[in-house]
Amino acid sequence: MSNCHCGAPLLPALATIKEIVEETPDVKTFRMVFNDPAVQESFRQKPGQVAQISVFGVGEATISITSSPTKRGFLEFSIKKVGRLTGVLHELEPGCQVGIRGPYGNHFPYEQMRGKDLLFIGGGIGLAPLRSLIDYVLAPENRSQYGRVDIIYGARSAADLCFKHDLFHNWPQQPDTRVFTTIDRAQEDWTGHVGFVPAYLEELAPSPANKVAVTCGPPVMIKFVLAGLLKLGFTPEQVVTTLEMKMKCGIGKCGRCNIGSKFVCLDGPVFTLAQLQELPPEF
Amino acid sequence: MNKYFLAKEKLPRLFELIMADSCLVAPRQISGHRYLFAPVLQAEEVALDYTNSHLPPKNYLFPQTQAMFLFQQGEGELRISPAGAASRTVLWGIRPCDLQAINALDPVFFGDYPDPLYRQKRENTLLVGQACDRPAAQCFCSTFGYGPDSSAGADIMLYPCTGGFLIAAFSPRGEEALASWQPLLLPVRPEQEQEVGQTLAVASQAVKKLDLNGVKEWLDKNFQSPYWTELARRCLGCGICTYSCPTCHCFDIFDYSRKQEEGVRYRGWDSCMFADFTLMAGGHNPRPDRAARLRNRFMHKLKYHLDRYNLAGCTGCGRCVRLCPVNIDIREIISDLKEVATRE
Repeated sequence: MSNCHCGAPLLPALATIKEIVEETPDVKTFRMVFNDPAVQESFRQKPGQVAQISVFGVGEATISITSSPTKRGFLEFSIKKVGRLTGVLHELEPGCQVGIRGPYGNHFPYEQMRGKDLLFIGGGIGLAPLRSLIDYVLAPENRSQYGRVDIIYGARSAADLCFKHDLFHNWPQQPDTRVFTTIDRAQEDWTGHVGFVPAYLEELAPSPANKVAVTCGPPVMIKFVLAGLLKLGFTPEQVVTTLEMKMKCGIGKCGRCNIGSKFVCLDGPVFTLAQLQELPPEF
Repeated sequence: MNKYFLAKEKLPRLFELIMADSCLVAPRQISGHRYLFAPVLQAEEVALDYTNSHLPPKNYLFPQTQAMFLFQQGEGELRISPAGAASRTVLWGIRPCDLQAINALDPVFFGDYPDPLYRQKRENTLLVGQACDRPAAQCFCSTFGYGPDSSAGADIMLYPCTGGFLIAAFSPRGEEALASWQPLLLPVRPEQEQEVGQTLAVASQAVKKLDLNGVKEWLDKNFQSPYWTELARRCLGCGICTYSCPTCHCFDIFDYSRKQEEGVRYRGWDSCMFADFTLMAGGHNPRPDRAARLRNRFMHKLKYHLDRYNLAGCTGCGRCVRLCPVNIDIREIISDLKEVATRE
């Protein structure tokens, strides 16, 4: 019996949870390693790609890979407890086995972003897919190929901010990198910015010159962020987002993630705003 | 291409020959005018003459529920094993609309990530088509550029004529099968060829051909139109249109555990007509109302599949028309859209 998923794209390869980091009260980051070192070695994702995580007996869910491909030997998935499968995942402990299929979908256009300044705009768990690209760009071997990196990130409350160690320690220490955090409503122990992400974006008013904006968050946040970016003078080609749609099979068969004639699992999840404007407004 | 005559009285022998090493799946009369594709146990069960089956034979390539793999957990170690292999099957008597539907499903299930479950079945199945001599009132296959005599997709075709069928191979696999059936076949007489030609010409005339001019162009431009909301007022969201459609391929994936430590992952047909089809964990639903879901179905049939695979997602088989409990009729929709398109 082989766990190789080459040629058998519906069979997950087995992996073990090695480490779990509690990011927020309802988000955990799972570090997973394939049981078969050859599968681990051959799994080559690109920033922004997704994978199907299996909990056997419960099912599968599409989860974006949050670790950068520059970090080899493991995969990280930051998962919010929102449904049945993610609920069970949150009960698991290091040592538990899961299945992984993938990587699926397209990726952030990191090649075309070279030589540009980057603006990341995330909300809540929407920072998870962005983190794969942020860490890719900030990796020492890639950093010189990109300009300034600005990260605007917001969550409901201070406790709901994901990747606090990255936000407050790792990323701000990198050269030419700034992190702007905000929370929806004021709270006692928070001295930072208060307000919704789209409003903070308008307040910071970043210049669109030689810049690519990459955004992900709840659908309503994305909607207002996209409008805000256009208002600031960004062209639809300069704006990139990654969509969450109900992907199931991940390989364009099950038919549930279509937006018009496109399948999010094959043609996405990453789209430029210019591409989104070509699609029916159904996401 | 070599055609032969297959006499009716030779059919039981042929069916037994097939059943000796394959599963024979053919139309069987269930009741009155109702025929369904089903495995054959005795040669006389095969319906040789039927208009069209109640449901398409799609489930013999893409079953309504299908095991994907088994999982077992013992002694702390998890193991997964692929589901059983597909058996050799002969799908007998498929009408051209359902052959065309298989042509439309192939690019979905092959493509960049060939689906191993579909591929196994497809590679182990011989497709025997049967030209239509008596199309039904709801048939409109000619709308999509083929007709009651189309052989596209068939390994072997049957052409009804007095006393039996003319039979011909259309693929290497079909030729191989026909060669092994040779002792049961006779040479074709010119008057038989003539008879078949006449029958099929009459049948082709009988099929309603709808004018698709402008429909795709209208759909390209009119995602948001009050037309869909109007139409959706009647729709019950029951999903029979998708289940009975020979080209609908949507499925969901489930795990079933027999015991704590072992179980099966399987997939089962799903339908874009259901509210929870696009409902995501967390509550967001990109197609929250029936109008959006109904629009998705007709867009898929008349535009999306065409955009993606260069093949219509509808084959004009008429089943959704016959089975819809509130008479939503894709033929009417095509002519409505056509009218709107011309008016604009």
